[in-house]
Amino acid sequence: MTEPRRGGLGLWRRGRRVWRPREGLLVLPALVFYILVYLYPLTRLLAWSFFDPGPTLKFYGALLAEPAYLKALSNTLEISVAATVLSLVLGYPLAYLMATSGARARSLLMALILIPFWTSILVRSFAWIVILGNNGIVNRTLLSLGLVSRPAKLLFDMTGVQIGMVHVLLPFMVFPLYGVMSRIDPNLLRVARSLGAPPRRAFAKVFLPLSLPGVAAGCVLVFLLAIGFYVTPALLGGAGEITLATMIDMMVNTLLNWGFAATLGVVLLAVVGVIFVLFSRLLGLHRLTAVGEEGAR
Amino acid sequence: MSDDRLSAGRALLWLFGAALLVFLIAPIIVVVITSFNATPYLAFPPQALSLRWYRNFFQSAHWIDPALLSLRVALVAMAGATVLGSFAAIGLARGRFRGKRGLELFLVSPMVVPIVVMALGLYFLFSPLHLLGTPAALYLGHTVIATPLVMVIVLSGLRSTDPAAELAARSLGANYWRALWHVLIPAIRPAILSAAAFAFLVSFDEVVLAIFLGGPDATTLPKRMWESIRFEIDPTLTAISSLLTLLVLLILGCAELARSLQRRASRG
Repeated sequence: MTEPRRGGLGLWRRGRRVWRPREGLLVLPALVFYILVYLYPLTRLLAWSFFDPGPTLKFYGALLAEPAYLKALSNTLEISVAATVLSLVLGYPLAYLMATSGARARSLLMALILIPFWTSILVRSFAWIVILGNNGIVNRTLLSLGLVSRPAKLLFDMTGVQIGMVHVLLPFMVFPLYGVMSRIDPNLLRVARSLGAPPRRAFAKVFLPLSLPGVAAGCVLVFLLAIGFYVTPALLGGAGEITLATMIDMMVNTLLNWGFAATLGVVLLAVVGVIFVLFSRLLGLHRLTAVGEEGAR
Repeated sequence: MSDDRLSAGRALLWLFGAALLVFLIAPIIVVVITSFNATPYLAFPPQALSLRWYRNFFQSAHWIDPALLSLRVALVAMAGATVLGSFAAIGLARGRFRGKRGLELFLVSPMVVPIVVMALGLYFLFSPLHLLGTPAALYLGHTVIATPLVMVIVLSGLRSTDPAAELAARSLGANYWRALWHVLIPAIRPAILSAAAFAFLVSFDEVVLAIFLGGPDATTLPKRMWESIRFEIDPTLTAISSLLTLLVLLILGCAELARSLQRRASRG
């Protein structure tokens, strides 16, 4: 018999050969799969962006020199910041309403947010094309009310992209906000009121500061998702709304410029990676995964 | 006085919330209603009712073949993601090892990596392996994006379980695998089932990987819809949209059921 080993993978114990895997080993299959089909391809992107076929920085140089690229970058930032601000302005009152309502109203509101949240993004983008098009219900209403003399252009420009994006991103703002707000003790507000604070002041001095972690989590999450958005800008935007994501698609599927596509991918990945790691350090990963949990309720 | 103002503010808040919910739900309802239209162009409200677009979906190979491929891909991705994600969740919840936080971060990170970047990486990976344009590319890609979701849902299910139950089973002589299989997994079965349902949905609706990796030979339903939205707008899209919405309602209903089962199970 071989000498019994202790520790290691925990397969040997007290001299008896017993299969005692530590529970942590259950992570292994997923880890191996991720390394092969997720981590490895992403690191290959790095290689593509730095070699052609010898080492080169020309793709990164082109990024800084090319106006079309800078336009895509500024478009992406503009769209993402606008989508984040709009989602916050619209989502905060909705989350507040949910957090301060009774159980029945709360689950009704939650259900009405979850249905569009899980509905295919293609279906939703298509729905906006039907609604906002020249013959759509919005334009026909505007025309019949005499508010416009010819159909307003609501699609294939920034308006269309913003409407479509806020529609998709709003739940990602509401879930973290609601998660934080629903844990705020309502007695705190009652105390503030009983001490003479008018409702508005009680809200501003007590509720608002306590809800700020939710605001931060929601904004970071929405921004993170917005900068990588592809489907909505591609379907609802026009030629002027090229973003980093749609540019990657163009590089791969039309221009066949793989090195440049990989470089754009690396830039996008770096931005997302930095925000993601900072976010999980400062606010905790649970605030991010809470969206998945909330969404799967 | 102040109570009056409070309730007026409350009414205003409800009005705002209702308007926002209309914004969220109305597009879907408009498309569902449009799908029953009889004319060959999109009209809302419909002038005459018919089911022709639903018939068109089920009878034309142009639509039904991609739908069958999507079904196949979604079933494979669901199986893969559910197994990998559930085991990983149990490992993270019960295991004790160094670097666990970092590992968890890594395992959920596909949720935030832009799907276009992932598609690009997999495009480069599969191209030399001659996997582009095959269902296998989609099996693998969709499993990657569905696994973190499964993990998150199962982890939250695990939080409502008591590790003492497994310890009890082991002290009664069950080995680790028996305790896992007969005690822990039954306790989180509702969470695993609802995670599987959402994994199916994520794969069935996924479009970006399908566009990049599917090529002309492996066209899923979302890829076919994408082409149609971009180039021709076939009214059959409205019928498909309604059916996909119905699928969402079914899955949310199942998840709600699973949740009440989980509550009952953890209450004892």
